[in-house]
Amino acid sequence: MEAEVSAGTLKPGMIMEETPTTDTVGRIPVGKMGVWWFLASEIMVFGGLIICYTLFRIQHGGWESEAAHVNWRLGALNTLVLLTSSMTMILAFGAVESDDRAKVKLYLAMTVALGLAFLGVKSIEYTHEIREGFTPLSGLFWSFYYMMTGLHALHVTAGIVLNAMLLGLATKGSLWPHRQQRVEFAGLYWHFVDVVWIFLFPLLYLV
Amino acid sequence: MVTAEHGNSEYVAIWVWLVALLVIGLAIVALPIPKVVVVALVFAVAVVKAAMVVRNYMHLKSEHMLIIAIAMVPVLLFIGLMITLVPDIAMRP
Repeated sequence: MEAEVSAGTLKPGMIMEETPTTDTVGRIPVGKMGVWWFLASEIMVFGGLIICYTLFRIQHGGWESEAAHVNWRLGALNTLVLLTSSMTMILAFGAVESDDRAKVKLYLAMTVALGLAFLGVKSIEYTHEIREGFTPLSGLFWSFYYMMTGLHALHVTAGIVLNAMLLGLATKGSLWPHRQQRVEFAGLYWHFVDVVWIFLFPLLYLV
Repeated sequence: MVTAEHGNSEYVAIWVWLVALLVIGLAIVALPIPKVVVVALVFAVAVVKAAMVVRNYMHLKSEHMLIIAIAMVPVLLFIGLMITLVPDIAMRP
């Protein structure tokens, strides 16, 4: 039986067990509220970059010759990878809802693997572009390209770490009974990263 | 009541739509139509894809109004900034 220990009754040497957060704002769990506030700030970060890029691109006549050097096939492949990872992430959440622990682990592992695949493809692209002489210092288009895709890749990396931590908790069995809501929170972040890429792909590779 | 299996099949169906829209977006670029139409169509497809992810995978369609407001305010700010700043550059002689 789990003893309920409040901070006031703690004695020296006692360790307080982690208990589920039941705090809500209205009917919204504070964790979910926090994630959405964070995502709102992230919209402005990527939104600001996208606005600057669009304005400079219009001002400089379209950057069509520069954009012709990016590999749209690898970009499309990475879009497919991220869209698929969003599906596996939401299936992990579905498995949490139905308390299917084996599938939670399977889908989280698939999401982590697909995230790593995305970074692998991106690193192949970067290697190819740098070997051709297109570095962040090669011009404004390339500065924006590396800035936006690099910042996005950092977000993918953070998502992979988060999902790997959840996978670790699920494997040890300590995701239940108090921490399974974190799969939903991590999922919100992961889908946001997917949405950002949905816009970066046409901006940098297609038009 | 929505069963877990039903929910999962819906998630997979959304993914199929997203992949189909990705293919449509790639096909639009190859069409022999004016560049400005290509740009408009490609971004229209991107907006639909993003809306599908946000509504179905992030569950915004069934979310509390406060969450919807938190998500929409920065999006509206982004759109407002775009509308006010782009003409300044695009219409400059």
